[in-house]
Parts: sequence; structure tokens; C-alpha cells
Amino acid sequence: MSSASPSSELPTAAPTARPVLSVRNLTTQFRTDRGLLTAVDSVSFDVFEGEVLGIVGESGCGKSVTARSIMRLLPEHITRYGPDSRVEFSGCNLLELKERRMRRIRGDRIAMIFQEPMTALNPVYTIGAQLDEALRYHTSLSRRERRRRVLELLERVEIPSPERRRREYPHQLSGGMRQRIVIAMALACEPDVLIADEPTTALDVTIQAQILRLMDELRKTSQTAIVLITHDLGVVAQMCDRVVVMYAGQVVESAGVDDLFHDAAHPYTRALLESIPRSGARRTGRLATIPGMVPGLDEMPAACRFAERCSGREDRCTRIAPRLTDITDARSVRCHFPMHQAAGETH
Amino acid sequence: MTEIGSSRAWRKFLRHRPAVIASVVIAVYVAVALSVLLTGWITLEDTSARVGPANLPGFGLLPDPEQRMDNAEWLAERIESLCDRADPEEALAGFRDLGSRRLADLNVDEFRRRIDAIWDTWDRLAELDDVNEAARSPETGPEVREGLAELDRRCEALLQPVSETGSVWRTLELLLGTDRQGRSIFLRAVYSIRVAVMIGLVTGLLAVAIGTLAGLAAGYFGGITDGIITWLYSTFASIPGIVLLIVLAFMFSGGELDASLNRVTGGLLRTVLGGRLDETLIPVYISFAITFWIGPCRVIRGETMKIRELEYVQAAVVMGFGRMRLLLRHVLPNVSHLMLINFSLLFIAAVKSEVILSYLGLGVQNGPSWGLMISQSGQEVMKGFFWQIGSATGFMFVLVLAFNILTDALQDVFDPKHV
Repeated sequence: MSSASPSSELPTAAPTARPVLSVRNLTTQFRTDRGLLTAVDSVSFDVFEGEVLGIVGESGCGKSVTARSIMRLLPEHITRYGPDSRVEFSGCNLLELKERRMRRIRGDRIAMIFQEPMTALNPVYTIGAQLDEALRYHTSLSRRERRRRVLELLERVEIPSPERRRREYPHQLSGGMRQRIVIAMALACEPDVLIADEPTTALDVTIQAQILRLMDELRKTSQTAIVLITHDLGVVAQMCDRVVVMYAGQVVESAGVDDLFHDAAHPYTRALLESIPRSGARRTGRLATIPGMVPGLDEMPAACRFAERCSGREDRCTRIAPRLTDITDARSVRCHFPMHQAAGETH
Repeated sequence: MTEIGSSRAWRKFLRHRPAVIASVVIAVYVAVALSVLLTGWITLEDTSARVGPANLPGFGLLPDPEQRMDNAEWLAERIESLCDRADPEEALAGFRDLGSRRLADLNVDEFRRRIDAIWDTWDRLAELDDVNEAARSPETGPEVREGLAELDRRCEALLQPVSETGSVWRTLELLLGTDRQGRSIFLRAVYSIRVAVMIGLVTGLLAVAIGTLAGLAAGYFGGITDGIITWLYSTFASIPGIVLLIVLAFMFSGGELDASLNRVTGGLLRTVLGGRLDETLIPVYISFAITFWIGPCRVIRGETMKIRELEYVQAAVVMGFGRMRLLLRHVLPNVSHLMLINFSLLFIAAVKSEVILSYLGLGVQNGPSWGLMISQSGQEVMKGFFWQIGSATGFMFVLVLAFNILTDALQDVFDPKHV
């Protein structure tokens, strides 16, 4: 479990800072025809002001569900949160908040952007109208002030000729441009936390770099905390201060970004890192992959969930579920046999 | 997805020439309907009044010789009987059997004299075995045709000459001929536009409104709401449309419902409607709306389910907007093209169904409608007179065709798969 203690790996988290958003033992379950399925299993992490926290994992590991649980976007009638699950934000537990109050937090205090910029904007309204709606809903600015603010936002996300773009419809913009608008919308009310669910996955690499640079600048200027959900470790290396690695609904490792890339403790993290293609590396055959498949939600092993696919599996791994344990102040890992150097076990 | 507000879509629509023509045709129909409704240049009385002899062909064509003789005989006998009344002067002044035409300003004796002249010619022609045959044969032809022309002239001599303004109206009255009861087919067909357009518009709007609301609710809220609405429309859809229509129409017919509703409300309904419920078009509107809301509901439910999952709706949730705002400002505009297409489909369906219902005597109760005209033309058709059925179907055909072309164009313009 990560903590707020001073550490060289946490450059932007001030020593005494309190987390803006704090997720504790978040368990999200869905009632389905196959019974109660646990998509997220007691996930905990903190996000500090001005910090970028990465949540990494392959498809279906529960990272998006975690984000949607924080925003309470999941269909209420089939979703159940664990009894000791808490999402603490400005002194209250978001999971227990009334829908009416939750609405005032969404968009205003916590904003979220999605993966697909092509469908993230409503095709029937102009860019300006959509930005304006958010401002009108959450602020008491006059029409004139809102208009100025819209132009300001467009400039801030580096849209060229904002006065003209303001009057255009989403289909007249390119993918990268749309994602900028989406970011502008998310920033309209200067939120404390921005949750970005794979914001660059659908963009091509050059645009991706621009968007990431933009987000990084915005974070620096407005001290917004960013939760960046991605499966792209390259993005993580470029953007994040700290990283939470998820596997099959659980946090398997959390660490500062340098620790993670140089000295990963969990075999899953190691395997992930090894499967990144590297330029200049020896081209000796195939790219490393992780054998096997993620277990389905209804067939989760009671022991270590990664054991099946783990190269360092031992007898204990298939019998006893490992617990998330702190290995240093800022690092924790869920493994019986962590592989980091401090523990003396290199692979 | 192309949306209704997109100017690109409308530009594409304007390039679709048949669709533009169809829109103009529809606009003309609606304008005629409105003008009839607002100015009353054709009244209900005009459509039920006798404007001339029965089964007159349109466009000033002459009936066959036999029929011309029958018409002359009808007119002569009619006026003769008026002259025989106790107060002939008054009876003659009240003659209205030729529409806007009036009898000449003559005294009774002069009328009798001119009628005798008609009978002279008539008797001469009646000696022939078969007037039609005689008029065609080369030997007797010219003589018979001259006789018939004389008969017409002598009939005309009974009437006031057609005045300038009156002649336009007279031309309209006889433009498409007369039906079995001597009523103007043109006036009836035009007056029916009003009925058709009203039924099309009202039921189209009602059904689309109900269907959209139900579809949005079902698609957006899901769960029990969806269950109930889906069950409801599946049940309605499992009954063949026309059967449902007939059952509903029967429910309203005969004044039973009207009587009981008035008993409950203390005559309120009668005061509001100014008449009996089953004599207005309201039963038709209601039964059509109940039958037709299923179509738009089904499509809009599906589209809403799709849109609900789209990220801009999710993004709107993330912006903290409430449910109603989401539905009305973010989902509804994105299904508006479906509303438009469905309205146009339902308009045609309503016009066609009205014809079927009226044909069965369950639709329009007061005044003409294309369905009633078609139903009344049955016997005429057997006698080889096609003007009434032709006019009614022609008027309907043009409207339905125009709407079909329009719907097609709308679908082309708004359906992304056809781009």
C-alpha cells in the first residue's frame, strides 16, 4: 500500500500533503445471471494534488470499473459495493452520497475523459455549446463571461483559431482536436481530480504525444490530480509519478514509476515489462508474452490469481492467497515471493 | 451518424430532385387542406349538394348519347314536376339541382313551352332502337348527333347563362364529373384532402410523440420500465394492425361510448366537441395513435439503447447532468431524425388506413373522404364509370407517392450506411 511518507520516488507528493482522493478497499460486484461477480476486489490507493497516478493492467482487469466506481457511473441496480469500501473525497464517502449531491461533484470537482474521442462529443451541438453547457450547469457565470471562458479553455488546450472552432460541430474536427475539446470540457470547472480512462489509446502516436504533453502541462499549471488509466506502459513511463498495477480485479503492485520500471517486484509486472518491444534490444526471436489467460470473473482461484501464469510459481502460490504487503514505505506488492532487489531475489 | 441539425444533410436532401418535387407536392396538399380548413372555400354542403346529372364524366367530356338523353329526361321531368307544384314560382326559384347554376328568369308557361320543345327532340331520338349505335353509324350519325346537340341546347335554354365568375366555379364543380347522386367528384376529392391531411398529421404527431416518449424511457431507463413498455408493444404488435384498428373503431362507433362518457361528465364532452364523439374524427385519431405508436417506439428504443452507451452521453453523466437533461438535451436530439422518418411513414400509413376503415364504414362518418368515395363507387364501376374511383385513388396515390419518395430521401440523407 502506498503511503504519504517522504520518498524520492514521489517527487510531486508533498510530505505533509493529504490525498485529494483516497480509495479504500473498493470492492465492486455485479449481480448477474451467473451470480454475484466481483470485478474489483478491495482496491486501495491515494491520489495527491498535482500528481499523476497510473493504473495499469490488461483488458478486463478492473481498471475501468474502478474509475467508474469512483464516479458512480455503473448501473445502480446491478452494482454492489463492499461494506467497507470507501472513496473519500473532500471529507465524504462518494459511494454513499445521494445522487443529487454526486451530480454536483461530477464535472465540477471530479472530471473524467474517455477513450474514444470520435463519440465523446455530442454530434448535434457545436463545440462552444457543449463547453458552455458545462459552465452554465456548474457555475453562475454570465453569458458574456462564459463565452470568454470557452475561448480561454480552447486556447488552453491549444486549439488554433478558437473563435472559429467554437462554432463548429464535432464532425468537422480531427480525432486529436476532439480529444483536446474533451479535455477542455473536463477542465471547464477546474476540477480537483481528472480521471482519464485510456485517453490516448484511440489516437495515433504523434497526436498521443501531443495530448500527453498537454495533460502534463495542465497538471503543472492547475495542480489537478490525474488518475491515468492505461494499458500502455510507455504512457506510464512518460506521464506518471506513481503506478498501481492491477490484475484480475486486484492491485498486485503499487510503486513509484522509477522503482516499477527498474526494479519491479511482482512477477506479473515483470512479465508486462518484458513484453514491451524495445528498440536496440537483441532481436532473438519472439517478443516475450505471458502464457495463459486472465481467469474469468466467475472462476477466480481462491489462491494467487496469477499463479496459473506465473513462471516462479511454487506450491504455496496455489494454496494460499498472497496479501498486499508493504515492502518499503512507498511500495507494496501482492506476492509470496517478490522479485525486487531489496528482497535479494532477482530473476 | 448524420443528425437532423446538420446542414450537410439538408444540402444533400436539396440535391435529391425527386424529393424536392415530392416536398412541393406535399406542401400543395397541406396548403389546400389548410385553405379548406381556414377559409372554407369548399363547405361540407358543397360536397353533398347535387351539381348536375348523375355520372357525368370529367373535363367537359360528353357522356354517351344514351346517358345524354337520360340526363335531359331527368332535367325536363324535374322542372316539369316543379311547374306542377301548387306554388310553381317559388319551387322554380328554389331549384338547386345543378350546383351553382340557376333556372332562367321565366314564367311557368314559358318553362312548360321550352320543356315541350325538349320532349319533341327527345321523342324523336327515342324512336331509335339504340341511340349509341345510331350515333356511331355513318348513315344516321350526323343526324343523331345534331339531334343530341339540339337537345342540349334546349336544356340549356332553361337555365341562366353562366356568368363570368360563376363559370370558374362551375368548371371546378364539373372538372372530374359527378357521382351516382350528381355530386361533384372534384369538390369531394379536394375536400377529402383536408380529412386525409388532418388524419395524417394528427395521428402521425400523436403516434410519434407517444412512441418517442415510450421508446426513450424504455431504452434509457431499462429494467422494469423497459420490460413494461416492451411487453406492451409486443402485445399490440402481435395483433394484426388492421384488426386492432377495426376493433378500436367499432368501440367508438354507434355512440355508446359517447353516451356513457357524457353521462359521467355531465355532458361536458358534448359541449367541448359541439357534437357526438363518434361523428368527429377523434375516434379515428385515437385508434390510429394506439395502433401506430409501436413503430417509432421500437426504433427509438433501440437507438436510445445504443446512444446511451455512447461516450458523449457518458461524458454528459460525468459532467454531472441530471437524467431529464440527459434524455431531452443529449439523447432526444440524436433520435430526431428517426422521429422525422417515422412521422413521414406513419402519415402514409394513416392516410391508407383511413381509406380502408372508411371503406368498411368505420372511419370518417361525416362528409367525404377518399375511402368513402371508393366505397361508394362500387356500383358505378360495374357500369363502367371510373371517374369517382379514379379521382379518389389518384389524389391518394399522388400524396402517398410523394410521401414515399420523401421518406426514402430522408432515410438516404440521415442513414449513415447509405452514404
